[in-house]
Amino acid sequence: MKEIGIILGGPQGAGLETSMAVLGRALARKGYGVIADREYFSNITGRHSYIHMLISSTRLPRSLRYPVEILASIDAETIFTHFDDVVEKGVVIYDENQLNKNIDNIPSIEDYTREKIKTKLAKLGVSPVIKNVVDYLEKERNIKPIEIDFTYIIKLLTQRFKIDPRQASRYVSGLIVSAVSIVIGLEEKFVKYGFEQQFRERRYLIEHNIALYELVNDSIARFRNIVKIDEPKIGLNKLMIVTGNDVVAIAKIVAGVRYQSYYPITPAADESFTIEKYEYNEVNGKAVGPIVVMQTEDEIAAICSAIGASLSGSRSSTATSGPGFDLMVEGLSFAGANEVPVVITYYQRGGPSTGQPTRGSQSDLMNAVFAAHGEFTRVVLSSGDHVEAFYDTIEAFNIAEKYQVPVIHLLDKFLANTIASIPVPDIDKVRIDRGKIVFNGPSYKRFDLSNLISPRAYLGSDNIVMWYSGDEHDEYGHIVEDPENRLKMYSKRIEKMKLILEETPLDIKMGIYGDKNPDYVIIGWGSVKGVALDTIETLSSKLRLRYINMKLLWPFPRKEFLEIVKDTPSERIIAVEHSYGVNIASLIAMATGVTVTKKIAKFTGRPITLNEMIEAVERIIFKNERHVVLSYGA
Amino acid sequence: MEHRYEYKTSLWVDWCPGCGNFGILTAVVKAFEELGLDPSKTVIVSGIGCSGKIAHFVNVNGVHTLHGRAIPFAMGIKLANPELTVVVHGGDGDLLGIGAGHFVALGRRNLDIVVIMHNNGVYGLTKGQASPTLPLGVKTKALAKPNIQQAVNPILLALASGYTFVARGYAFEGTHLKNLIKMAIKHRGAAFIDVLQPCVTFNDVFTAEFYRKTIYKLDEDPSWDPVVRKPEEAREKLLNAIERSLEWGDRIPIGIFYVNEYVSTFEERLSKRLYRYPDTNPSNAVIEMNGKPILSQQEFEEIFKDYIVNVEI
Repeated sequence: MKEIGIILGGPQGAGLETSMAVLGRALARKGYGVIADREYFSNITGRHSYIHMLISSTRLPRSLRYPVEILASIDAETIFTHFDDVVEKGVVIYDENQLNKNIDNIPSIEDYTREKIKTKLAKLGVSPVIKNVVDYLEKERNIKPIEIDFTYIIKLLTQRFKIDPRQASRYVSGLIVSAVSIVIGLEEKFVKYGFEQQFRERRYLIEHNIALYELVNDSIARFRNIVKIDEPKIGLNKLMIVTGNDVVAIAKIVAGVRYQSYYPITPAADESFTIEKYEYNEVNGKAVGPIVVMQTEDEIAAICSAIGASLSGSRSSTATSGPGFDLMVEGLSFAGANEVPVVITYYQRGGPSTGQPTRGSQSDLMNAVFAAHGEFTRVVLSSGDHVEAFYDTIEAFNIAEKYQVPVIHLLDKFLANTIASIPVPDIDKVRIDRGKIVFNGPSYKRFDLSNLISPRAYLGSDNIVMWYSGDEHDEYGHIVEDPENRLKMYSKRIEKMKLILEETPLDIKMGIYGDKNPDYVIIGWGSVKGVALDTIETLSSKLRLRYINMKLLWPFPRKEFLEIVKDTPSERIIAVEHSYGVNIASLIAMATGVTVTKKIAKFTGRPITLNEMIEAVERIIFKNERHVVLSYGA
Repeated sequence: MEHRYEYKTSLWVDWCPGCGNFGILTAVVKAFEELGLDPSKTVIVSGIGCSGKIAHFVNVNGVHTLHGRAIPFAMGIKLANPELTVVVHGGDGDLLGIGAGHFVALGRRNLDIVVIMHNNGVYGLTKGQASPTLPLGVKTKALAKPNIQQAVNPILLALASGYTFVARGYAFEGTHLKNLIKMAIKHRGAAFIDVLQPCVTFNDVFTAEFYRKTIYKLDEDPSWDPVVRKPEEAREKLLNAIERSLEWGDRIPIGIFYVNEYVSTFEERLSKRLYRYPDTNPSNAVIEMNGKPILSQQEFEEIFKDYIVNVEI
């Protein structure tokens, strides 16, 4: 097959994240493109989690779709939850010890979900016991059951290597990786590479997992190549395998971040962990760092200390999600008032309140653009995928320092936790712009009004003394309430927005894809990009579609936007967002006067998949629907 | 020739006549003068309220921040450039009310910052509401009813949080306060000075007259030695300090309660992890060359090799 979709499911804590990393690297090693979303509960151990993956032999995949060819389960809950997601002639891999499991005996399933599944099974005439579900899949759906005795295989392994039986469960992730590899025909050496990359200096784990692979192979050798993936034809000789958190962390290091603060929050904290891992490096005798990664007492301290570090001259940032950003808002306002360059990486998750802490969302657009009292310039920049996130992270610092403004890099959980194969970033394309910096002695005025951008000096520069104040201030930074000064200083801060709009290149403002004379234009931002591009490509034989990936969300690039949609009547524009309100439409209306009324929304916390996006676009275009709400995915 | 700096700005100081803050300002300026601090290498970071304005009145770098948040701003400034002398000024409402979490966190870190608390028992700029240091049942003149919340003990909280220099001064004991400030600045680690500061406009209970009658200096007792001179003394000295911190009412001690230089500073802890810190630090580390990142393509791929997969062809 050209492409294969897979779900790997099991209880939280069983090591699925490891499976994803091992399989991702193994596949990339052979030259396949991979993308995988990780879905999990706010829980450490026991709740249902799964990896939804797409492997491609011909391209670097950018969206996920249902149904999948392979359902690989560690536990019974996975089968109950996903049995309906498997395509005809697909396979279901399961532990034969689960066959007699009844859904009523699985306490980790939420009651709501259990009832829903039971109802569905009852309609199909299937009793809620794994063996009946598997029988049904085999007989009615032509799905091949692949039965493995997990307990037996792990027992053989633990006996052979004298592994403490209490450690046995940590091998389940390797077992499932092995089974999937065998089914799709991925050779042992690539799987071995995946284990080696994952476990590195823990040689014994590599050895055990390779032995495990062989045991699984002995058990299911007859299923080798049953859903075979074609030989790869992508042609890249090097790939990067990264999550969104990783790629942003790496980009921050390249950008020269030297102070990163954070308070632990899902799905942002992993970014700071990755930076911390690289807090000091030397390469070719060159120091990269030191980077101070500071876990603060709360998000207020995170933003305030990041601002402080910026005042001292450090490239400085913080990373958070919605609840944390809410706490940062007063600090954001201070940064606006004091023209402080600082980057806030904002990974949206499901709100309001604690909401769905481990699920994705794009419902905070308005929060990022408008939160905080008073009026001032901020920049809100979003990225459509891992590659964009890399370059945009660096650009976020450049914009922050060039215009002395806070920059919010608005991302989301989908990107944060999705692992993707991407080309290795081109460092030659990266530039660092620290803006106007001076060291000009005693009469220094931090907020010199002779230009929109007052040259910046760092605290600690020789012979320079300066003041900052959250109060309205004069050119020196001292509190002044004079109305004329207020008018000048207040306007200066806001009018930087014009400069940003004039000077920012089009590709930072938006990406334009698809047909140049479109019948319909789809507009979205952030992680909608991949699925939107696959949608317009899939439908290209019957529809001329264009996708606009909005990147600079604030200040809104009105002029360019109007230019692009000038030949498209507004009823032929469709906005897509992972939210209830599809709020980008409101932002467009406010900034441009264009009223977008066709909307595709998804706010279940699960990503929009290709199948449902295609259907939604068709419903809008051919069935004249205006507002399609999507909900597929467990 | 010795270089002399001017430590006062020319701004009109807009506190109420007779305000305790004048005493604090004078002591700060005098301490800076005597230490000969370079204004460009010194930063006053202040919060919101009457005390917050001090950042504008002293001719060193001034960062007048948000209510309660002076400490985290100061932390970022100091961590990024450890060469700076960083002094935080805040009121009791600022540091122990809205900003209490940051106050505690600084103690845990023992970062080399001085915190000077202007302690007047009221929220002055908003017309005299009860602050976290006003005792239960006290009715100052702006309050409609006696205070219904208990006071927090600033010295005890600082000791419990891990500050390694803990002292109390009085705004109108200028020389004594100046000396405390000098010692606090010279101390390596987080230093806290609780400064009793009469608010002439809103606090008619804890007045200058009240303090004149009640305060006494800890070092009047020649046996009082708050300094931990060997690590094993730390517990005993801390217990002594805690006991003294409970004195309030008829006799209020001022002076040094506790000093312990055996606790590692945050900078030292960082330098163990971040090779070259603090000499190379976020404010002076090279991050670009001619508008390009310092990493070449090859160096980038070397550092991040864990994420790169070479396709086997």
